[in-house]
Amino acid sequence: MSTYFYVSPEQLIKDRAEFAQKGIARGRSIVAAIYDKGVVLVAENPSASLNKISEVYDRIAFAGVGKYNEFDRLREAGIRWADFTGFTYSREDVDARALANYYAQHLGDMFTEGQKPLEVEILVAQLGNKLRPTKLYRVAYEGTISDEPRFAVLGGDAETIKERFALSEDSVQSLSTTLHNASSALSGPDRVIPIEELEVGILEDRGSRRTFLRLTDQQVSELLS
Amino acid sequence: MGLPLFSAHGDPGPSFWHYVDTMGLNPSPSALHSDTPHATTVIAVRYNAGVVMVGDRQATGNYIASRDVRKIEPADRFTALAIAGSAARGIELLKIAQLSFEHYEKMTDSALSLEGKANYLSPIIQRNNLTSPLLVLPLLAGWDESHSVGRIFEYDGAGGCYERFDFATIGSGSPFAEGALRLGFRADLDLEGALELGALALYEAGDNDPSTGGPDFVRNIFPMMITVSADGFEEIAAAEVGERFRLINERRTESRGVAGGSLR
Repeated sequence: MSTYFYVSPEQLIKDRAEFAQKGIARGRSIVAAIYDKGVVLVAENPSASLNKISEVYDRIAFAGVGKYNEFDRLREAGIRWADFTGFTYSREDVDARALANYYAQHLGDMFTEGQKPLEVEILVAQLGNKLRPTKLYRVAYEGTISDEPRFAVLGGDAETIKERFALSEDSVQSLSTTLHNASSALSGPDRVIPIEELEVGILEDRGSRRTFLRLTDQQVSELLS
Repeated sequence: MGLPLFSAHGDPGPSFWHYVDTMGLNPSPSALHSDTPHATTVIAVRYNAGVVMVGDRQATGNYIASRDVRKIEPADRFTALAIAGSAARGIELLKIAQLSFEHYEKMTDSALSLEGKANYLSPIIQRNNLTSPLLVLPLLAGWDESHSVGRIFEYDGAGGCYERFDFATIGSGSPFAEGALRLGFRADLDLEGALELGALALYEAGDNDPSTGGPDFVRNIFPMMITVSADGFEEIAAAEVGERFRLINERRTESRGVAGGSLR
């Protein structure tokens, strides 16, 4: 006969939260910010092929930090959900808020009922138009969803980076200024992140249906110079 | 519908069609009703820097159902897809193709190769045509970015996919268009040559096939002409297409309805 030890719910939640936070803190952070013409997502990512930022739909982008395999599966599910919703109804019926809510529900379920909580934090960004506003939805490992005004930071060092970014940018700026501020907020005062380790994606209206664009190293370096 | 999460062994991968299939949501093929609008002529011609496609605009049942149908659509920036057969199933196929190519690109962060796109359609056509043969047949043409060349792929009713190195046609007007193309095609056609040959071939099809709409000078509706090259999918402006068909028509009027001894 096995013996069960009593663990209080408070302790259980605390342990799980610590576990998830530790996992997330191991990875590098992401800054997402609204600029005068769209939304920019900036990640510190030493890999050029294992992306943290991705296109989801015409006006929706995804960013994830933490365990790659975990947030990549969420990214894929988001693309499937968006493409299928647009296929069933209409392209304009695909809404970032609905997707962010599904993510929040799933992360919340995994936090309380899963074998282990997911060690991820994700962001769903939406570029506004006549129908919907520009939005940054941040979903934490335990399923907390927050609607961030102007900018959001994900990852272990989020609080420090958030302060640094808020200090350098107090209003909506151009892409180049925002990218510059995001990159220096990510790096801190003591170092500079090499351009090839910056992963940058934007949502901006450029006259076509799809607004997501992954910036090349050259484009990033031109914007930063 | 909730968040579509799969375990690694049940994951449908980056194929939208397989995903929809996994969910049991793929439309099942149904028998063709005799008055479903169909019949078409679409032509694809390869030239030295890409491909040209020309398609008529008429949907035909027992009567003319529509005079301004667009039978050629961009499946993505470098791929054109044309349909012949049942309008409903054709439009569905177009929608699935467009969505699938984009879905793959977003899921994997890399675009499908042109050959990959062509092969992808095979099982879809096969299933689509299972109960009623030749319900819908597409024609795929595009710019192959990895080999810097324009390519054309045609299909048979069983889903077989065949690359054509010169030209291809689909629809009921094919025999007439094919005749003109066989006489006029040269391996080194330039853009102007390919546009002119494509227009002539479509003119012939419109002239002889009751279900193919030729140039409509009364309503100013003209066949669709598009190119796919290194610059991507481009549609030729209606005014320019109209002018081209007007000139062909004038020459035909002069020679009293026959080509007059040469391709004109």
